[in-house]
This record gives sequence, structure tokens and C-alpha cells, in this order.
Amino acid sequence: MKDRDASVSFRRDIKFWLEKNCPISQRQPIVQKEQIWGGRQRHFHSDDARLWFEAARDRGFTAPEWPSRYGGAGLSVDQAKILREEMQTLGCRPPLYDQGLWLLGPALLAFGSEAQKLQHLPAICRGEIRWAQGYSEPCAGSDLANLQTKAEDNGDFFKVNGSKIWTTKADKADWIFCLVRTDDSGPKQQGISFLLIDLASAGVSVTPIPLLGGESDFCQTFFSDVLVPKDNLVGELHGGWAVAKEVLRHERQLMASFESMAEKPKENIVDLFKQHIGNQDIHGISNTDVRDRLATHLMRDAAVKHLGERIARQREARCADPGLPLLMKYLSTREVQQKNEIVLDILGARGLSLSSPDDPELYDSMVRQWAFDKALTIAGGTSEIQLNIIAKRALELPFSGSS
Amino acid sequence: MILTSEQKLFTDSLASFLSSHLPVAALRVLRDAPLSTAYDRDLWRQMVALGVSSITVPTALGGAEFGWLAMGAVAQEMGRRLSPTPLLSSAVLAQGALIQCANIDQINRYLPDLLNGSEVWTVAFEECVHFSPEKVSTKMSARGLGGGKCMVLDGAAADRVVISALTAQGQWGLCVVEADAPGITQTPARLMDGRQYVDFEFTDVPQSACDWFLGETVATGWTQTLNQGMVVLAAEMLGSARELFERTVTYLKEREQFDVKIGSFQALQHRAAHMYSELELSQAAVDAALASFDSGRGDHSALASAAKALTNACFQLISDEAVQMHGGMGVTDELDIGLFLKRSRVCNQLLGNAYWHRRRYAERFEF
Repeated sequence: MKDRDASVSFRRDIKFWLEKNCPISQRQPIVQKEQIWGGRQRHFHSDDARLWFEAARDRGFTAPEWPSRYGGAGLSVDQAKILREEMQTLGCRPPLYDQGLWLLGPALLAFGSEAQKLQHLPAICRGEIRWAQGYSEPCAGSDLANLQTKAEDNGDFFKVNGSKIWTTKADKADWIFCLVRTDDSGPKQQGISFLLIDLASAGVSVTPIPLLGGESDFCQTFFSDVLVPKDNLVGELHGGWAVAKEVLRHERQLMASFESMAEKPKENIVDLFKQHIGNQDIHGISNTDVRDRLATHLMRDAAVKHLGERIARQREARCADPGLPLLMKYLSTREVQQKNEIVLDILGARGLSLSSPDDPELYDSMVRQWAFDKALTIAGGTSEIQLNIIAKRALELPFSGSS
Repeated sequence: MILTSEQKLFTDSLASFLSSHLPVAALRVLRDAPLSTAYDRDLWRQMVALGVSSITVPTALGGAEFGWLAMGAVAQEMGRRLSPTPLLSSAVLAQGALIQCANIDQINRYLPDLLNGSEVWTVAFEECVHFSPEKVSTKMSARGLGGGKCMVLDGAAADRVVISALTAQGQWGLCVVEADAPGITQTPARLMDGRQYVDFEFTDVPQSACDWFLGETVATGWTQTLNQGMVVLAAEMLGSARELFERTVTYLKEREQFDVKIGSFQALQHRAAHMYSELELSQAAVDAALASFDSGRGDHSALASAAKALTNACFQLISDEAVQMHGGMGVTDELDIGLFLKRSRVCNQLLGNAYWHRRRYAERFEF
């Protein structure tokens, strides 16, 4: 009862604070170009965006669950959930977007030295430094441990040579966290180290990669004799695989919740269905067929969210079923793609143009979303890799020669 | 779902009772029994003594008020063993209709005998081959109640039947009759799941034998009763699906072909992992619906329909895959796999197939 009272008053405080500090313009559905990204190239789309970011930053709400000494708000899982719910109710936009916040931070909290935490975490929470992720390589995708980017011992430094692909927004980032090979004498997972690299270092270059939907945020990042101080090694030398897996775990969770981060469609799919198909039997597409598919999708989508809540509750009650988090990325990315396919069917010939991202045309942005989301079942570990992991870890099926 | 320690203790004791007295082997005995047998009434009394009839009943009415999550956990344990019991027909549907649709005098008159196990009831609401509870032509007239119902769960073993019917004035309601009242003819059948389903014919059942639940709250109470029945059935199906899934994964780890365990083949691993993800997705939907009954929040009809539709598909997938992955053994009667498969298809039709539920879900969201 006492807990309930405390959470009721916490919720009331949060709601009051959000209403006071989150400007109305920051409670509208997020538009991609108005997202608030941190870093040296930081720029705010509006004064309201700056106000909202600064208020959230000062309250630690850019990283609600991180300890306050590292710039977070030190909230419990339950409190953070209340904050999320209240932000969702009011429609508050995320106050900061950054891969450092989502991916590197959790790994540093688990594996970083105290000096590394103090150097990097507050700068992330405060939106001063923006991070990119350097994992995949042209010859190391699903077989990530096959990576070849080399970091050689060079006195107080590592000398890094090689390239990283799918480095999202690396052209706008300040630093990159990378998996590098420090030893190639043993099994491939064992010679990998986790290194933090300043993208301003001499010898780094970044090239964008266009995708099937047009321009994209993906880049390839090249390293040529780049010198990196040895203090920037996270975890053990040759022991980076453990850190990498922690990041991947968070990336999977992030991908599972990607929809909530992405640009909100200006219309939801139910409205779209009602407007374009409704109760009519249009030649070439039967409303009952689409309605049936749409209902299936909405039921599954809701169940994915219930599953996510169940995982969070189990974690809080310390009775976690370790198999469940492995399912989230596989299930949720399928549903996002399923929704997009239903949207294309509803739109018919109206939904076939990509045009440019700046075009305000509603349907084109939905088609761009469809194209972009094709990457969801690939990035962060393909669906097939997810199934391998589920079979191995949750079901403990025998080794099959692929991991 | 996370149960309280009290709920856990209760469901564990029921699970161990079921393991000793109603394992899957009991269903094999039932399917060869005379048509009049629906379940072992003596075992049901023992389960009632353990508290199974009072799980969701408010303490004010003499129940245990353990909540719907506990009810769901019990149903899952029954599903794991395909245990034939009147949990759904009597403790959830008939008792639910009584508590949610009857007046307090009627509740006081009938409920104690249900809670102490001296009576077992069922419900008769189906008149068509596909679930359509809104279609009611059974009607009272000057001569008495006339009409018919089909697919009445465990009907020939019930002491009383709750019937959805129209009064002589054409008002829809529920009426309770003794199962052997004059004018009632029963035709029992054992369907492929080994359970008993009965067709009822009513010819001039006297008005004096009918005790009606009428009034403004009956419709919402009945809808809610059906919602609860759908979700408890879904929980039971989920228990069956989980049992079948676990047996199949065990088999993949034991069976050898081409000198290796067949579970090492990636094609089978991916299908097993997919089944697992569907199982937990359905579990999340069922738990959400159960939790909504406990909290009183949310759209119960939408949540119940999502739970039933997803579980129909999930149990169907897993029972198909279980047969396929057990190979030739999967289609024998010696293994239990086929019993689960047949139960899946019967359950699909009970209380609404997936199409019915998807349509209702769409209606709830007005599309």
C-alpha cells in the first residue's frame, strides 16, 4: 500500500513537471528532421526543442535509469516506466536521440572503468558528444566475430586499420565505439577488443551509403593508421566480445521498441483503412480480407507490447525468464513490416512513390517507412540469427554448426 | 504472469492433484467410457474441496477471491494434461452467469451448492454450427419453453442448465432449468477430443421449471461471462500447447537420424524457435486479458478476442508441428500427440473461431 501511495505521488509529480517543462510543440508526433540529436554538431530545430532538451537534461531525464553521478536521474524500473507512460500520455517527444545513450552507455555501466564512466556518460546525457557504432564489416555481417579491422600495439596507443560498415549517422557523430581485432592466433571470438575512437582523429574518413529507399543514415567508416590511446580500451584486452554482446542485447531491445522512436505516422493504420476502404467492397480488394489481416496485426502488435511489459515486470520482481527477451526483436520487427505491407495494400497505386524525404506528402513518407523498415529484420542481428540464438539459449537444442 | 505466493501454493497443489489423478491417460479412459460420462464427478468433488470452484468468487459470496490469473494458471495445468473437468462449463460459464446475471436471491439459493460441489451446472447458448451467441430462437410460450441448443459442454452430467432464451414477451434472458425437467431431451455425443457434447431439445418445458435471470444487467453480465470463458479456454489451450511444445523439443533432442540428433538441424531449430515465440506471444495476450478481469480495466471483449484468436492459431501451429516433427510416431494413437491435435481443433470452434474473434476485435475498434 505504501509502495502504491509512493508511486501515485511520483506519478503526480512527474505529470506536473512534464506539463510545466515540455512545451506544447514538443508534444506533437515526432518528425524526423525535428529529432534532437546531441554532439558537437548539435542544432535545435526550434527554441522549444532547446528548452525541452535542457529541462530534461538538467533533471537527468535523458537517461532516466542511469545513476545521477553519471548524469542520469537514478530512477527505478517502476519509476522509469511511470515516466515513460506519462510522456506517452502527453505525447512528449524523446528529449535526446543518441546511440551513446541507447547502446554504449549500458555497456560502459557494465564494463567501463570508473574513469571511463565519468569521462563519457555525463557527456552523453548532456548531449555534448554523439556516438556511432562500429560493428559490422564488409566481410563480417551475421558472422560478426569474423571482423578484420586491426588494432596493433603501438606503445601508449593502438594503431587501427580497416573499415566498418552500416555505421549509422557516423558522418554526424563525434566518437565511435568499435570492435577491433587485437589477436588472430586463437578462436575468432577471443581476439576481439572494444575500443572508443574519436572520429576527429587523423586517418578517419566517413562515406554515406544510399539504400533502396533513397538517401540513408548509413555510412562506411574507414580507419588508416589511426592512433587511439590505450586508456580507450573498454573491458579486457582481447575480451571485447563480452562487451559487444551486452551492446547487442541492448540493440535488440532498442530495435524491438524502434517503432516508438521512429517518426510517428500522421495517421494511424485504422484511420487509413477507414478512409480508403471502409465498409465498401472495392473492386480488387475486399474489405473483409484487409480487416481480418489488420485485426490480426493489431492483436499481435498489442501482444508484443504485453510481452515487453511482462519482461519488465519479471526483471523488477527478479524472476526473469531469460528466454523471453530473446523473442522481442524477432516478433516486433515482423509486426512492423507486416503493418507496412498492409498500408501498401490499403493505399494501392497511391502508395508507390518514394519522392524525397523533404516532401510533406503523407503517403510517400509511409512508403519511405516501408522501404526503411526492410532493414529492421537485418540490422542488429538478422531474424535468422535471432532464431539461432533462441534455439540455442532458450531451447538448448544441440549445436548445428552455426551460431 | 507473476503469481503471489498464495496463488502459487494453490495452483501447485492443484497441479500435483491433476498429475496423480487426471494425467493424459485419464482422457484415454474417458473416450472409451459410455456416452453418458463427461468426467469423473468424484474427482471433481475432490478438486472442489481444494477450492477450484471458488477461485474467482468474491469472498462476500463465500468464494476465495484468488483472481483470474490464478484461474488461468489452473486452466493451463488442466490443459497440460488434457484433464476432462467441468471447470469451463460449470465453474466459469454457469457459475459466472449466475453471479453476473442473477439477482441476489437466486445467487443465495444456488451458489452454495456449486461452491461445495454438490451441484454441477452447464450452459446452453449455441444454436448454430458456428459460434453465434446472439442468435437465440429458443423461446417461452404459453405451452412452455421450446427450441433447441447444441454443443452443450458436459451436458449429460449437469444437474442444471443455464439456457439463453426469449421470454414469452420476446425479452432475451437466461433461464435455469433442472437437466431432467419434463420436456428436455438430450442427445450426447463424444467428439474427437474425447469430451462429451450434448444437443438439447426443449418441448414444452413448463414455465414452473424455469427460473429466469432478467433485467438490464443480464446482457453485459452474459457478455462478460462469455469473455471469461473464452480466456479460460484460451489459457487451457495454451497449457496444452506448451506441454506439446515441450514434448516436441525433448523429442528433437533425443531422436537421431543421419547419425545426429534431429534437433541439430537448423530447419527444425528455426521452426522450434518460431513456435516458442508464438507460444509466448499468446501467453502475453492471455495474461493481459486475465489481468484485465482482475483489475476491471481495459476493453475486456477486445482483450478476450485477441487472446482466443491468437491462441487458436498458436495451438494449431504447435499441434501441426508436433505431429510433423514426431514423424511417423506423430500420427499413431500410441503417442499422445494426436490427442492434443484433436483437442486443438475442437477448441478452435468452441466460444468462437479466429474469424469470429478478429471480426469482433475490428468492431471494438470501429473498423
